[in-house]
Amino acid sequence: MKRFVALILALVMAAGVLAGCSSNNTEGTSGNSGGSNTGEKTLIMRTDTAFTSLDPANSNNTHDIKLYDQIYEGLYGMDEAHGGYYNELAEDVQVSDDSLVYTVTLKDGVTFQNGEPLTASDCVFTYERAFENANMNYLTSMIDSVEAPDDKTFVINMKYAYAPVAHTLFRIKIVEEGEVTEQGDKFGTIPNTAGTGAYCVSEYDVATGCKLTAYDGYWQGAPDIKNVEYRVFADSAAAVIAYENGELDYYEEAALSDWDSLYAKAGDAHSAMVKGNNVIWMGINYASNANSVLNDDLVRQAMFYAINKDDINVAVTEGYGSPMDTYMVPEYCPTQPTSGFENYAYNFEKAKELLAQAGYADGVNVGTILTTTAAHSAKAAQVIQANLDAVGIHAEVESLDVSMAVERWNAQDYDICVYGDSGNYDFNNIRQQVHSESVGMYVINYTIGDKFNWQRIEELVALGAGTADNEERMTYYTELWSMIMDTTTILPLINRPVAVVWSDRIDIGDPVPTYYKIRNFSWVG
Amino acid sequence: MYRYVMKRILFLIPTILGVIFIIYFVLNLTPGNPGRSILGVSAPQEAVDQLNEELGYNDPLIVKYYKYIKSLVVDHSFGTSYFTKQSVMDEVLPRFWVTLKLAIIGIVISTLIGVPLGILTAVKQYSVWDYLPSMIAFLLAAVPAFVLGMALLLIFSLKLNILPSYGLDSWECYIMPSLCMAIPITAFNVRFTKSSMLESIRADYIDTARAKGAKEKTVIWKHALKNALLPVVTNIGLNMGGLIMGAVVAERLFSVPGIGALIVDRINYRDEPVIIACTIVIAITFTIIMLIVDIVYAFIDPRIKAKYTRVKG
Repeated sequence: MKRFVALILALVMAAGVLAGCSSNNTEGTSGNSGGSNTGEKTLIMRTDTAFTSLDPANSNNTHDIKLYDQIYEGLYGMDEAHGGYYNELAEDVQVSDDSLVYTVTLKDGVTFQNGEPLTASDCVFTYERAFENANMNYLTSMIDSVEAPDDKTFVINMKYAYAPVAHTLFRIKIVEEGEVTEQGDKFGTIPNTAGTGAYCVSEYDVATGCKLTAYDGYWQGAPDIKNVEYRVFADSAAAVIAYENGELDYYEEAALSDWDSLYAKAGDAHSAMVKGNNVIWMGINYASNANSVLNDDLVRQAMFYAINKDDINVAVTEGYGSPMDTYMVPEYCPTQPTSGFENYAYNFEKAKELLAQAGYADGVNVGTILTTTAAHSAKAAQVIQANLDAVGIHAEVESLDVSMAVERWNAQDYDICVYGDSGNYDFNNIRQQVHSESVGMYVINYTIGDKFNWQRIEELVALGAGTADNEERMTYYTELWSMIMDTTTILPLINRPVAVVWSDRIDIGDPVPTYYKIRNFSWVG
Repeated sequence: MYRYVMKRILFLIPTILGVIFIIYFVLNLTPGNPGRSILGVSAPQEAVDQLNEELGYNDPLIVKYYKYIKSLVVDHSFGTSYFTKQSVMDEVLPRFWVTLKLAIIGIVISTLIGVPLGILTAVKQYSVWDYLPSMIAFLLAAVPAFVLGMALLLIFSLKLNILPSYGLDSWECYIMPSLCMAIPITAFNVRFTKSSMLESIRADYIDTARAKGAKEKTVIWKHALKNALLPVVTNIGLNMGGLIMGAVVAERLFSVPGIGALIVDRINYRDEPVIIACTIVIAITFTIIMLIVDIVYAFIDPRIKAKYTRVKG
């Protein structure tokens, strides 16, 4: 017995020693913990998963890009609340008559967080670094070369005319050559001061998140909030409790099922349901080897009319979202056509009628709806399955890890798919889905056989990208989107809103769906 | 005893080799594409294929297994994370210590409360000291850890506002995750200790002790408890292993950066180096815990000690 008691005491002591190893910060409940500027309040932000890397060229994950937006800046910035792209590090951008050369004059007085001045050679270094990174391929594939004739002039030579280049200028964040070179392979895995943004990373831990400290020499003026801490809250229920408990200052992309309780706490003054910049689509592989029935135009039309987008909206967004007829969200995409195409509004009787005309009055099996394990896609797929089943079109649902689903989609190894995209601001984004040279989301291969006029589709993509005249672009894109809708292969389903709540300690200005800027936040009182 | 301990330590080697092989075998059967996961949906297929080749993803199972063991033995490296490009050890070890700390606190709480309560319920059978703890233990054992964690958060964090809801910045932060992990185990300990004690109390040697005129206190503490503790100690060891492996619920709920949450996160990204390293670390820990249990067992049970002690002439 004595030995047993001794063992227990030893365990208690070991636990005490281990627990004693932790820091003794008692500010945890106040939301004021961490930060480098002692005595300053700390803004606590939520991230649902760890940040992949601090290297802005290493990730296309939206939650990583949101962090990059606080640390680094591109030649263009993004203001979703007030009209989209604007000149950030670029003072002026001149485009040659043939739209093949972009000459960018850099702003004066911009310095990196390490004190070095911004020069055109840093831009060349950054862009050439992006050329070598497959992650950045979709942003750089249209660029032939870059050069720096002098310290303030940066020249981009295009392979072909490409009007939607603004997204490239926004997404490629300029980094300071010296520090990046010095850190070598470590760059992105440890804190750095190689950005021109309002904040630099003071601590970075893949497990827990990261801490930012204001850069007082920021060229647009030092931000009001000096210390920021991103905490990983993997579980949304825990994040809700932390917010309600006053331990979280800014919580965006909250689960819509939590909205009622969050709104009850936040009220109108500290919450917003912002229109999201995302769309979920259904794709039909008309050339499916497994299901030749999908090659039948009448069957595909019946499927389009059978889909009740309101049902999907309720299931996926609790009814807070909105059914979509357009490829992208018009509020964020000025070149998105909003009329001049068939939208296939839900029509149960018409779906039944078309199915009967196709010779399947007693029902037909169309194979499998392949989607990702993401909750919103999986839910949408289940509702689609039920909608189709109601008119006599039977399908199974298969959910896969996103990397596997993408492989299957790209290989056209599927029958029906549910997929989505977000954060794009130009209709040219459709190129990735309808142009045979694109990679990633080329889910429907229009070049198989002679069923569709894919040559015209690709020509319209090129024409739209080749002119900066928005009216002209709208004409091309209206014809393009009308053609795509007539193929009955890609059906926009819904748009998911973004629920944002913030604490009464801060003023966030105008809420935005994606790219918030902490430098525009301020403490209240 | 030394011989016994050495034998058990050496047994770690084939255990770890076996664990690594099983992980590789299972991952080999699971569909996935790390190249695509790392480079994203818009990366050219050639770049994805090239990266998969560089990562050795296309190698046959046995080749992958050989290369991994070689890297482990020769370079002492668990490799680099596909997801973060950081050293796997740098990611896994800090998180492992966090989980270990929580598990140790959990095991201490569950043992200090569960075992005495179990003894009490057995000694005071059919009284209120039996019914009440047994009923509470029965209820708590049936509550899922997630629900328990949520209840703790709601009461101590949201309503009373006396404990932080996330992180491990201060000692208070350890209380709720530890309780969330410990309470179900405590309930189990109560029931397990009670049944073990009852079995011991009903044994013939207890009747003999009483017939010899030994005091009831002596009968319970010296004769019954000592024999009842043998399976309880084994159970505590198993609980410790279970706490380390099952910490994921508490870790995610309380935003604690532990090894369980790490595995779950990286499975989503098919980050093989991290998943394998975590599993190895857990396997080694579990084996070491069982070794400690066996050594403690040997102290409690003289029969085992005698088996491995040389007879001096």
